[in-house]
Amino acid sequence: MESISRISSLLETARDLTLEAAQQAGPRRATKPLPAQQIKKLLDSRNEREVLDGLRRVIAMQYAKPAQPTLTFFPSVLKTLSNPYPSTRPLVYNYLIHHAEADPDTALLAINTIQKSLSDSNPRVRAMALKTMSGIRVPVISQIVSLAIKKGVSDLSPLVRKAAALACVKCVRLDPSARPQVEEYLAALLADKQYYVAGAAVQAFMEICPDRLDMIHPVYRRLCKMMVDMDEWGQLAILRLMTVYARKCFPRRTKTVKRAAQTQEQKAKDFYEDLEPAEADEDEYEDIEIVDPDLDLFLTSTKSLLQSRNSAVLIAVARAYLYLSPTKYLPQAIGPLIALLRSPQDIQQIALYNIVQVALHDPTLFVPYLRHFLLKTTEAPSIRTLKLEVLTLIFPHTDKESQAFILAELEHFSHAHDADLVREAVRAIGRCAQYSSALTSRRCLSLLLKQIHSPDENLVGESIEVVRHLIQRHPEDHRKTVVRLAKNLDSLTSPVARANVVWLVGEFAGQEPESDIAADVLRILVKGYAGESEAVKAQIVLLAARVYLHHLNRKNEKQKALDALNAPSEEQLKDSTPVFDYTDTDDNEGFREPQPSSPEPEAEPAQPIEHLYTHTLLLARYTPSYDLRDRARTYRALLANPASTELASLLLLAPKPVPQAPSPSQARKGFTLGSASLAVGEAMRGEEEIPEWVREGEEPDVRLRDDGVKEEYGSNKGVAASAGQRLDEALAADAGGKGVVEGARKEKTLDAWLDEEEESESDSEETESEEEEDESEYETESEEDEKAGLVR
Amino acid sequence: MSAIDALYIFDEHNNLILDHVYTGRPPPPSIVLPLYLQQSSPRPSVIHLPSLSPPTLVYSIVQDNILFIAPTCSATTEPLVVQEFLHRVADALEEFLGSPLLASKITASYDIVAQVVAEMADAGVICQTEANALRDVVETGPGVLKNLLGSIGASGTSPALQSGGSTGIGSSGLRPQIPQVQSSQGSAIPWRRSNVRHTSNELYVDLVENLSVTIAPSGRPLAAFANGSIAFTCKVSGVPDLMLNLSTGGKGAGMGTKGHQLRRVMERVVFHPCVRLSRWKSEGMISFVPPDGRFALCGYEVDLLGTETPLTAATSSKNSAASLGLPAAIEVNTGVGTNGADFEVRLSQPAGATSSATASLQSNLARPTGSFRAQTGGDSKAPALENMTVHVPIPAGVRNVSDLRPSKGEANFNPADGSVEWRVSGKDFGIGGAVLRCTVQGPISEDDEDTGGVLNGMTATTYDYDEDGGPSAYQSQNSDTNVEYGLTSGSANGTTARDKAERNRELMPTSATLSFSVKGSLASGLKVESLLVDTKKSRGIGPEIKPYKGVKYLTVSRKGVEVRC
Repeated sequence: MESISRISSLLETARDLTLEAAQQAGPRRATKPLPAQQIKKLLDSRNEREVLDGLRRVIAMQYAKPAQPTLTFFPSVLKTLSNPYPSTRPLVYNYLIHHAEADPDTALLAINTIQKSLSDSNPRVRAMALKTMSGIRVPVISQIVSLAIKKGVSDLSPLVRKAAALACVKCVRLDPSARPQVEEYLAALLADKQYYVAGAAVQAFMEICPDRLDMIHPVYRRLCKMMVDMDEWGQLAILRLMTVYARKCFPRRTKTVKRAAQTQEQKAKDFYEDLEPAEADEDEYEDIEIVDPDLDLFLTSTKSLLQSRNSAVLIAVARAYLYLSPTKYLPQAIGPLIALLRSPQDIQQIALYNIVQVALHDPTLFVPYLRHFLLKTTEAPSIRTLKLEVLTLIFPHTDKESQAFILAELEHFSHAHDADLVREAVRAIGRCAQYSSALTSRRCLSLLLKQIHSPDENLVGESIEVVRHLIQRHPEDHRKTVVRLAKNLDSLTSPVARANVVWLVGEFAGQEPESDIAADVLRILVKGYAGESEAVKAQIVLLAARVYLHHLNRKNEKQKALDALNAPSEEQLKDSTPVFDYTDTDDNEGFREPQPSSPEPEAEPAQPIEHLYTHTLLLARYTPSYDLRDRARTYRALLANPASTELASLLLLAPKPVPQAPSPSQARKGFTLGSASLAVGEAMRGEEEIPEWVREGEEPDVRLRDDGVKEEYGSNKGVAASAGQRLDEALAADAGGKGVVEGARKEKTLDAWLDEEEESESDSEETESEEEEDESEYETESEEDEKAGLVR
Repeated sequence: MSAIDALYIFDEHNNLILDHVYTGRPPPPSIVLPLYLQQSSPRPSVIHLPSLSPPTLVYSIVQDNILFIAPTCSATTEPLVVQEFLHRVADALEEFLGSPLLASKITASYDIVAQVVAEMADAGVICQTEANALRDVVETGPGVLKNLLGSIGASGTSPALQSGGSTGIGSSGLRPQIPQVQSSQGSAIPWRRSNVRHTSNELYVDLVENLSVTIAPSGRPLAAFANGSIAFTCKVSGVPDLMLNLSTGGKGAGMGTKGHQLRRVMERVVFHPCVRLSRWKSEGMISFVPPDGRFALCGYEVDLLGTETPLTAATSSKNSAASLGLPAAIEVNTGVGTNGADFEVRLSQPAGATSSATASLQSNLARPTGSFRAQTGGDSKAPALENMTVHVPIPAGVRNVSDLRPSKGEANFNPADGSVEWRVSGKDFGIGGAVLRCTVQGPISEDDEDTGGVLNGMTATTYDYDEDGGPSAYQSQNSDTNVEYGLTSGSANGTTARDKAERNRELMPTSATLSFSVKGSLASGLKVESLLVDTKKSRGIGPEIKPYKGVKYLTVSRKGVEVRC
């Protein structure tokens, strides 16, 4: 939710922050500084007003920039504690906490007075005293603080108990050896009936001993029920605690259910017979999570938190759902996550990281919210990048219409003026192509190829780069595309694009000898070698080496074949080889100088590829770039011996791995939802991960959670389970995995089970039929045109 | 887990005005600030500084030009927790010091700021962030809040004005009964300060909707959302129990109960913790015990297009921005003029605003008279259009935008942020609409004189790619190229004009945004039907007290309407 000040700024149309306004708006003028003597005098006064004034000045000096020394007032300030005025207390306490470390001896003088306040009749005074005492960072007093907490824990006022809970944290920080004692106090506070005390206790628990889950068992159910009423920070602590608790205490139980349509009878039969091992295909079955009733209690009580105004709470709930019940509950958290997109930019950015994380897990959930991820020109670049990523993530899971919509959006932003945005948009198109059907991917490709003629070099370069990746994925389908790209070499100006195309041509050089264009491309390129940029030059040299290598390979092959054929007459053959070679390879046809076509014996010098190759190497030799000269030397050495090309083939014609362009946030996938690592993008030291599910049979006993709950929450469903049932469960647990499943299922009625099954079945059916429709629709060209025209 | 190590506040010139260390030994502001400023603007809200010892995460927000920074050395802190905390700090300071928050106000009242900041997080554990409840514990001294809030509330520590202090808040079921506590313990309601007393009892509801609309070049809206917020101001003595009834203004009529209709219109609702969620779920009523003073009650979202609207321009009859009830339609034409160096922005009355169909849908926005003339007042009868501004972001390649010719209003080019700003007053903006025409000037280096040689061989269009052509086609075209290499120099002059237009196309804006505010109406058509004080549940106010109630509607767009071209 927008903060009130932001809403106000919308209402007040002009909120000028001029100096004038600043001077007028100040509720009171900054007071003139007084000499230290006078301040001391004020502090020593008996008039409440003057004391207060003196204290204010001291505090102002303490915070003023540059800081002024205020330690000298320590005795005078402490003396004011003896005054009966409660109004001075907060300021004195503030001063005390701030300075105690610097002058512990003087600070100890105050302890006695504060201890007296601990038994004041006003609970607010008691709470404040407890808070202050624990805040004094002097290790000597840790025992006194511990005693004060003990007293506070049993205080009648919840205000004081809350202060006691928070004091526990400070006490342990001050003196770690006090931990066992403090844990006892915490156990009492966790069981407090007042929700804000329990909330603070959970916060303290997470600070002090988050691993002592055994303390949580008896209060688990009560905490779950109180969660709704706690303040946001208590809710956050409890959500974090319970997510870990659930993973460690409720083993993940799944039931395998038949996916295919069944009659009621069959289902009922399956239900009772599923103890036998499944016989049919694995595909026909799917796993359905069985939620422990106690876990379900937690998950249902978090539902109302989805309307919290606090973005951190929303993310925490989504985290609980993602890691505890990704199929049943997670969909409910998606809407609230989308609501975070209306927050201020700083929150929006972090929220988007989390949304991407959830989308990586299950992109289909975000399909209905497609429109929310449209980019805006006014947004920060980081937000736009993340939105683009969500769009590409959901792309493969949407229908045809939405895909056209997304592509139109991406195309629009590929024409933007911001170079980074163009790159992101073009890459996004590439990712869309990667993860979708062949037809859609062809559309993406044609979209990218259209960009070739754009005057924007940046766009062209990026597009070709992505096109190259796409071509590499399915080289056999794209031979013609390469030819097409090669034709564009004349008009392409972007060096990146040119280098990419030349590389592609080289890659495809030897594949089809009949339609090989590589040598021809090389011939044209070499003419303009001097004018090319360095990246392109390097690629030209590489291309030359490859073309020459292919040529040598072919020659050697033929030689071998001939050798095998005419083994006896070796001598004779050797002479005629070049002739054969020359006439049979038609790719050499085009760029021969017009020559008498009669076969000439000893035609080696006339072989144009060799000429081209040596010419290119010569050019490279006189290039200023030493890197390029080195490369050329390498190639020369590699290809020095025309008869042995194995090593060169290994180096130059090595099959390339298929390039993957994973979603940029794929690297963050391992990070926990809502964590700082996720927002920063690197693993933080000391961050805890969500633990694995506890294994079946290793979980703590269910009865641990029953203790002490019965009296207060009599109507609790979990507790209502009869002793007999519990016995059954225990027995089942002994029997092993399947048995426990059976036992746990007793919580649900048969009907509930059948309903669930039906739902999932109809779902899967629907998606199937949709897919079929999609495929049939894809064929028409005119529709595609229409979609392409969307942007214009 | 949620430890905040320190809080640093800087003024608009990045001078430190406050540092408060909660716990541990966080890196001092003098070290954190330069590292923060190193990041390029807009700066990310979370910055990891691994070079510091210990490695630190720096969280920051900027509010009213004041920078709030919270460094934390613990990696287990969740980023959004800190961000929310910083926002709350800003809100709380504003509550105590008045709005807007200014550096001079903070420096003038360090004593209050110090208490507020210290109360909100206890040794780094966030504990009390309700600004209103903080007033019970923070000692403000005489007369500070009085002139700000107009209240004569006794400050919190003074005991017993009101017996019981119980609220009966949980009667609706979801929130259990809050036990009765003695008034000396302060308020039983965590978000409301105790012992509130006002001489004049007033209640104000402000509904603000912030538009976020994206319109395709064809004029079809791609997405249209109204992000609504309800700001509530409550100045009522005692503990009032209020009930706010909203109505959809005719939208979705005939679909289920009223609450159901309302929930269809108001999507993804979030509430202040004071709202009883069960009442909202069952009856669509917002029932709550408010904090004292001003607070954000509720946030919601309205999809102005409706979920059924197709994504692509298939058949829809209402495929224009008019159906959204925007006060003005905006259209951008680029590449006009002889050299294609001009662009044109056209503002007009939405064509469909008068049609009966949309009028019934948008009954409150599109009056039968059909126009959004700015009128004095701006009550809901005659919504007033104000602050209409068009922003056109200009690409970085543009050297200057000359020749701004607005038919109405004022236009200027701001080279600093690279945008053309065009202000049209609501009064000027009549039936005929308004037009702004501008000429862009590209970089000097590409002079008009460079013709001829350079363009050789750039005639990409001569290659007509044929999928089925195969190698033979390539070969034949290749021979064409050879010929052309010799010939193109003659035809170069013909291509310059086209090339110029091509070059100018790169300099054209790709979008424009429209900002405005309409007082007196909401884009979603929501209305406040009633605001009742439940005298039975309320404490401390008698039935004879009739608070003054005021409602304000406002629809704003802060560069929220974006037109692509």
